[in-house]
Amino acid sequence: MAKYENWLSPVAALAPSFPQGLEALPFCAQVNLRGNPGDPEFMSRVKGELGFALPTVPNTVAGRKKCRALWLGPDEWLIVEEGDARFRDAPEGALAAQLEQALEGLHHAVTDVSANRIRLELSGPEVRTVLMKSCELDCHPAVFRPGQVAQTLLAKAQVILEKPAEDRVHLYVRNSFALYVAEWLVDAFRYSGE
Amino acid sequence: MLKIECPWCGPRHETEFRYGGEAHRVRPEKPDSLTDEAWAAFLFMRTNTKGAFAERWCHVNGCRRWFNVLRHTVSHEILAVYAMGEVPPVPGARKEGGQ
Repeated sequence: MAKYENWLSPVAALAPSFPQGLEALPFCAQVNLRGNPGDPEFMSRVKGELGFALPTVPNTVAGRKKCRALWLGPDEWLIVEEGDARFRDAPEGALAAQLEQALEGLHHAVTDVSANRIRLELSGPEVRTVLMKSCELDCHPAVFRPGQVAQTLLAKAQVILEKPAEDRVHLYVRNSFALYVAEWLVDAFRYSGE
Repeated sequence: MLKIECPWCGPRHETEFRYGGEAHRVRPEKPDSLTDEAWAAFLFMRTNTKGAFAERWCHVNGCRRWFNVLRHTVSHEILAVYAMGEVPPVPGARKEGGQ
């Protein structure tokens, strides 16, 4: 895994001209974790390492502000850790390495995917309008609620949408799609009031 | 556009899914011992049901899990959604292992 200081976001050149409500979030540690949620040993060891239990309810997020687990599938989660402090001070890929160590001997898979996706934050009153014109997901506040996550298509690109609060959505998109999706969103925000 | 009820993610639009063809086809135990005709029949021939049809779908742009759907091929009505390995829950539909 590369060091953050050498990374360049695909939307770096576009970010200064983002409209209000759209923001590129800093890099973070992302680890894809797979394992059997029916195995109490697996669940308790992950809980011991992360400090919170993995979510087993589909499309929900568990954890705290700094470190969260996003439900991706019945045996698959995305562990997201904010900030690069742990990376700068610790060996590269610290989160993945620690999880790997904690789960030694158990049936599991830990994959560092920090470089896989970048994150954009959508916020403000236009968020729902922008999402509604960009993807087919039911974005009604009663259906897509804070604390939930959804994997869907946004402008035909695969994305993960995490909703930490009402009127705020974190969008995870693959690097190769990031510039396209960002340009789409810039456009969507520009015309959202019309 | 079909609205398909993913067993994990709930109702989503068809664009998020990938079609997996007819469900409950069983691979012959010993393909080597089959005649060319029998092997070709397994590989290429599918029932062309008019009515309730069991088929596989994958939520490729969501949770990436496979599941079975019982769909009416005329009305497109989705009669049931059930897990891989389960028998179709509606009487009259083809049973597990049927050819």
